[in-house]
Amino acid sequence: MYYPEPISKLIDSFTKLPGIGPKTAVRLAFFVLNMKEDDVLDFAKSLANAKRELTHCSICGHITDQDPCAICQDEHRDESVICVVQDPKDVIAMEKMKDFTGKYHVLHGAISPMDGIGPEDINVASLINRLKDENVQELILATNPNIEGEATAMYISRLVKPAGIKITRIAHGLPVGGDLEYADEVTLSKALEGRREL
Amino acid sequence: MHINEISLTNYRNYEKLHLNFDHKINVIIGENAQGKTNLMESIYVLAFTKSHRTARDKELIKWDEDYAKIEGSIVKRNRSFPLEVILSNKGKKAKFNHIEQKKLSNYIGAFNVVMFAPEDLNLVKGSPQERRRFIDMEIGQIQPIYVYHLGQFQKVLKQRNALLKDYQRKIEMDRTMLRVLTEQLIEHAAIIIEKRFQFLRLLRSWAKPIHQGISRDLEQLEIAYDVSVDVSEDMDLSKIVKVLEQQFQAIETREIERGSTLVGPHRDDLIFYVNEKEVQRYGSQGQQRTTALSLKLAEIELIHKEVGEYPVLLLDDVLSELDDHRQSHLLNTIQGKVQTFVSTTSVDGIEHETLKQAEMFYVQQGAALKEG
Repeated sequence: MYYPEPISKLIDSFTKLPGIGPKTAVRLAFFVLNMKEDDVLDFAKSLANAKRELTHCSICGHITDQDPCAICQDEHRDESVICVVQDPKDVIAMEKMKDFTGKYHVLHGAISPMDGIGPEDINVASLINRLKDENVQELILATNPNIEGEATAMYISRLVKPAGIKITRIAHGLPVGGDLEYADEVTLSKALEGRREL
Repeated sequence: MHINEISLTNYRNYEKLHLNFDHKINVIIGENAQGKTNLMESIYVLAFTKSHRTARDKELIKWDEDYAKIEGSIVKRNRSFPLEVILSNKGKKAKFNHIEQKKLSNYIGAFNVVMFAPEDLNLVKGSPQERRRFIDMEIGQIQPIYVYHLGQFQKVLKQRNALLKDYQRKIEMDRTMLRVLTEQLIEHAAIIIEKRFQFLRLLRSWAKPIHQGISRDLEQLEIAYDVSVDVSEDMDLSKIVKVLEQQFQAIETREIERGSTLVGPHRDDLIFYVNEKEVQRYGSQGQQRTTALSLKLAEIELIHKEVGEYPVLLLDDVLSELDDHRQSHLLNTIQGKVQTFVSTTSVDGIEHETLKQAEMFYVQQGAALKEG
């Protein structure tokens, strides 16, 4: 199929997005041709700005348009608690909860030797520096509950333990509002392991 | 437990096939390369979502097709349940009672099947890997959570081996990460070892009298778990963990030198003894076959004990490999209680009461016809 160069380039760009295959890319590209010019320019500007104006916060590693980020600058937040997460999306998930008033540290990944990702490839060194400089009392490890996330949490806890800071791991087990009978055996046994006294 | 219906779509050489099974004993007859084993295999795949012959699901899909589907209806505790396994280039789906099971460990175990194929005769003298596969499959059928621990163990093992390889290229190294992975590895390894000990205790108690029966009291079977760490059967989980911790600590430097994980469930083996002699090395071919047969029959009894019902037995081209005496022992054992599928090129020469009550299916070039 022959497309004029501008449109074939556009199709090519859309294909680079996750979840978009060649057919959807063609549909989106032709849709763009029919959009109002202002909307298209706005769209292009947003794309470029998102990339150009967003950086990683030099303190916590979260995505931000100002450095340090709004959370790190917020004086009302509790500086003595840091929640360690794998991904900027995890910060947003935690923030939606509106219950956590501490600060964050984004690792940008988990340790996975198989994929060539070692401790030096994720944002651990800056976390250690923060612990030295700031007055941190508790470190909450909220990496994902899979092999790599678990290993990363264990690694950080071993690294930090000598400093005498309290280290906690988020709980895993039954989802809230779920039924016990529908839980799989692994989840149930984890939930039983993490039971607490009332 | 039995299967009373199966439908295949684009499965190996079957484009479409639908069969009802009304009898306890079903004999699949056909020339070579007509699809007997494929039919047997499809029942196996319905139970385990994977083949006993190949690790590549793609081979199970008919040439030039996108997917293969196996549907079956099983009866368990007097209730009938539909099962469905769909294999495609994108992966596989398994449905139990119309509901998709995202975790295969939730699906496997719903339908219990024991397969006895010519390859199984090699169980005794084959590689340790084959014996580990045997024990892992069997425990998985009875305790689905074992499949989870085994999967986690294999993932950690891969990570740990990758890290150890990595260490070989580096001059300075921080052993913290290795110790983290060792701790993770031990968590799952200890459970696997404990469950294997438990399973072997059960298997032994069933296999010994069966073996004695087949050998007309001439042979005594013993099964040992040849484990690569210094643990023993009487230890509880916390003790096993302790022993593993000590051992991994002791060999840490050597593992870094060698660049791989040197001990663990991935290095273990089973050893069979007949009259106190190792069958793998010193047993005759006959003894090796009797041992394999005893193990399979023990497996059937064990599933019956643990699950409360007999599994479905698949005898793929294996009857003709056994001598008259072993054949009749096998057929006597299953008579009347175990739904069995027998595939063979011919029933001539197999004179047994059990086969006379059987329903015959004739397989020819991807089609199967009921007799009469």
